[in-house]
Amino acid sequence: MTKQSAQFEPFTPKTISLLTEQGDWAGPFKLDLDQATLKRFYRDMLAARLLDEKFTILLRTGKIAFVAPHSGHEAAQIGLAHALQRGHDWFFPYYRDAGAILALGVPLKEMFGHALATLADPAKGRQMPGHFGSKSLNAFTPASAIASHVPPAAGAAISMKLQNTRQVSVCTFGDGATSEGDWYAGVNIAAVQGAPAIFVCENNKYAISLHYSHQTAAASVAEKAHAFGIPGYRVDGLDVLASYYVMKDVIERSRQGHGSALVELEVYRFGPHSSADDDTRYRPKEEVEAWRQKDPILRFQRFLERQSIWTKDWEESLRAEIKAEQEAALQEAISAGEPPVEWMFDDVFSEMPWHLEEQRRLVTDELS
Amino acid sequence: MPTMTMVQAVVQALDEEMSRDNRVVVMGEDVGKRGGVFLATEGLQQKYGPDRVIDTPLSEAAIIGAALGMASHGMRPVAEVQFADYVFPGFDQLVSQVAKLRYRSGGQFTAPMVIRMPSGGGVRGGHHHSQSPEAHFAHTAGLKVVVVSTPYDTRGLLKSAVRDDNPVVFMEPKRLYRAIKEEVPSQEYLIPIGEAAIRKEGKDISLISYGGSMVETQKAAEELEGVGVSAEVIDLRSLMPWDKETVLASVAKTGRVLVVSEAPRMASIASEVAATIAEEVLDSLEAPPLRVTGFDTPYPYAQDKVYMPTVTRILNAAKRVLDY
Ligand SMILES: Cc1ncc(C[n+]2csc(CCOP(=O)(O)OP(=O)(O)O)c2C)c(N)n1
Repeated sequence: MTKQSAQFEPFTPKTISLLTEQGDWAGPFKLDLDQATLKRFYRDMLAARLLDEKFTILLRTGKIAFVAPHSGHEAAQIGLAHALQRGHDWFFPYYRDAGAILALGVPLKEMFGHALATLADPAKGRQMPGHFGSKSLNAFTPASAIASHVPPAAGAAISMKLQNTRQVSVCTFGDGATSEGDWYAGVNIAAVQGAPAIFVCENNKYAISLHYSHQTAAASVAEKAHAFGIPGYRVDGLDVLASYYVMKDVIERSRQGHGSALVELEVYRFGPHSSADDDTRYRPKEEVEAWRQKDPILRFQRFLERQSIWTKDWEESLRAEIKAEQEAALQEAISAGEPPVEWMFDDVFSEMPWHLEEQRRLVTDELS
Repeated sequence: MPTMTMVQAVVQALDEEMSRDNRVVVMGEDVGKRGGVFLATEGLQQKYGPDRVIDTPLSEAAIIGAALGMASHGMRPVAEVQFADYVFPGFDQLVSQVAKLRYRSGGQFTAPMVIRMPSGGGVRGGHHHSQSPEAHFAHTAGLKVVVVSTPYDTRGLLKSAVRDDNPVVFMEPKRLYRAIKEEVPSQEYLIPIGEAAIRKEGKDISLISYGGSMVETQKAAEELEGVGVSAEVIDLRSLMPWDKETVLASVAKTGRVLVVSEAPRMASIASEVAATIAEEVLDSLEAPPLRVTGFDTPYPYAQDKVYMPTVTRILNAAKRVLDY
C-alpha cells in the first residue's frame, strides 16, 4: 500500500529502510526530494568522508592530537542534519558528529580551527578536537563526558515548549551512552514533560571495545522507548533517505506538540574508536570488511546512478572541489594563529574574580 | 631485577592480588577484551576469565555502585574509571554510598574496594581527560586517596589498596604511565598507605609534591642543586591520610617550603598541606609556605603545557621563598 507521505510507525519489527543495498527505492511512498537536494545529500556525505580522511592525515603529520572518525556514520548524520530546521532547531551533538556538524553548515574554517585549536575556533581552543559546536547554528558545544548532554537537551526542549517557539531539540549519542544514568534521567524528564526532544542513537554496535550485546540485554535501543512512554524507531542508518525521512517525520510531529521520541540509527564505525584506539584488539578485520561492503555512500551513489544523477565525471569534479575547499579552509584556520596564552583565564565566569586575575598575571609575567 | 613502567606495574599488582585472593575482581569499561584503554589490565581477562575481569556497560554509577555491593557482600573489587574526569557520573555512588557505608552502619557494613583512575594532564586531552580531582575525594570523609608517581610505588601501594579494608581511590597520573621505567624487585612487596617518600634529602628548602608534578619538582630540585641550593623532595603518595609527620619534620629542618601540585589551587591538597605547616611549625619557618599549583580554570586544551606547574614556575616560587 502506498502512503501519501512519509509517516512512520514506531516499534516496527523490522528496521526501517527505504533504499535497498543495490540502491533501489523501496519506500512505501513517493520520493519527493528534488535533484538538487539529493545531490546535496551526496555531496555532504562525501565531504564528511573526505573530512575524516583529512583529519587522519593531519593526525599522522602531528598537526592535530586526536580524531574520533565518523566514517560509516555519514548517512545517519547527513540525514538527520537535513531534517532539522537549520539555525532554528537545536542540536546537541556528541564527539563523533563531525559529519552532522558539517552538513548543518558550520564553516569548515571553524571546524579546522577547532581541530587545530587556532583563533579560527569560536570556542577559543578550549577543548580537544572533535567537540564542534556553534552558537549561531544552535549546535550545543559538546562535552566529552558521555551522555552528560542528554538532560540539557531535554531542558532546552522543555524551554521550547514553555516558550512555544516551535523548535525541537535533537540530541545524538552512541549506544554506550544509553547505559548512563544521565541518559535515562534526560529522556525521562523530556518524555514526561511532553517536550519536543528527539533522542537519536547512532548505534555503531561498539562502545570502544564493548559490543552492543554486552552493553544491554535489550534487543534494540529503540525498544527502550517503551519504558519512557514515547515512540521508538529503529532505522537503517546506512540509508541516508531512511535516516532523513524518519527524522523529518519525527521532528515535525514533535514540533506539532506530540512530545519526545527515540530514534535508533543503525550504523557501523569503519575506523577505530579514536586515534588512541587499536580496534584489532577487539573486533575481527573480516567483520569490519564485511560492513565496509555496505558503505552508505556507495549505496546512495548506486541510487543516484540509477536516477541518472551520479556520473563518474561528477564524482571526480565533486571530489576535487571538496578537497580544494577543505585545503583552503585548513590554510585559513592555520593562518588565524594561536589563541593568546592568557585567554585561558577568560570565560570561567562572566567577570574575572581576583584570584584569576592574580593567576593570569603570574603567567604573563612568566612569559614576558 | 626486572624493569617496568607504571602501567605494567598496575597489571603486575592486579595479577598478583588476583592470584593470591580469588575474591579480587577487576571491573570497568574496556578492561577485559581490550585490556583497558591504557592497557593497565592487559592480559588479565585471558588469565582469569570474564567473570573476574568484567567488561561493564558504560556507566560509572554502575561500576562504582555495583563494586560497592560486591564488596559489602564479600568480594574485593578493583573498579576502573576510564579517566578520573569520568568519575562524576559515579560520584553519587562514591560520596553517598561508598564513602559513608562503614560510618552510617556503625561499622557493620564495609566497602573494601579500590577505585582506580588515570588522572592529571599533559596528554593534550582537554578538560575531560586532564583533571586532577583528588581534592573532591580527600574532602569526602571515608575515602582513602593515593596518587602514585613511580612504577615501584604503584605496585606496592596498589597491592596495599586491594588489601585495605576501606575504599581506596587510587590515582595514576596518565602522563607517567610509560614515561618512566624502573627496576622493581621480582619478589612481592607492600608499601603502606599513609607514608610519604623522601625522594631527595636536602637542608635549604622542602619541595612537597605528589603524582605527575613530581617530575617537574624533581627537575627543579636538580636545578636548585646546580646553583648551590640543597632541596629536600618529598612525594606524599598518600593524600588521605597524608604523612604529616614526615612533612613537618622536613619543614622544621629547612624552614622553607613549596607545595607543588597540578590540581587547581582553590581548596586543594596543596592548600591543606600549606595550612597545616603554617598552623603547626610557624616558628621554624623562614618564609611563608608557597603553593605552586594548577590554575582555577577548567583545564584548557590549547594551553596544556602552561596549565601545569612548570619547572620555571617552581623555580620562581623557590626564589621568592629563598630570598624572603
Ligand atoms: C562518562 C564517560 N565515561 C567514559 C568515557 C570514555 N569513553 C569515551 S567514548 C566511550 C565509548 C562511547 O561509546 P558510544 O556511546 O557507543 O559511542 P561511540 O563512540 O561508539 O560513537 C567511552 C567509554 C567518557 N567519555 N565519558
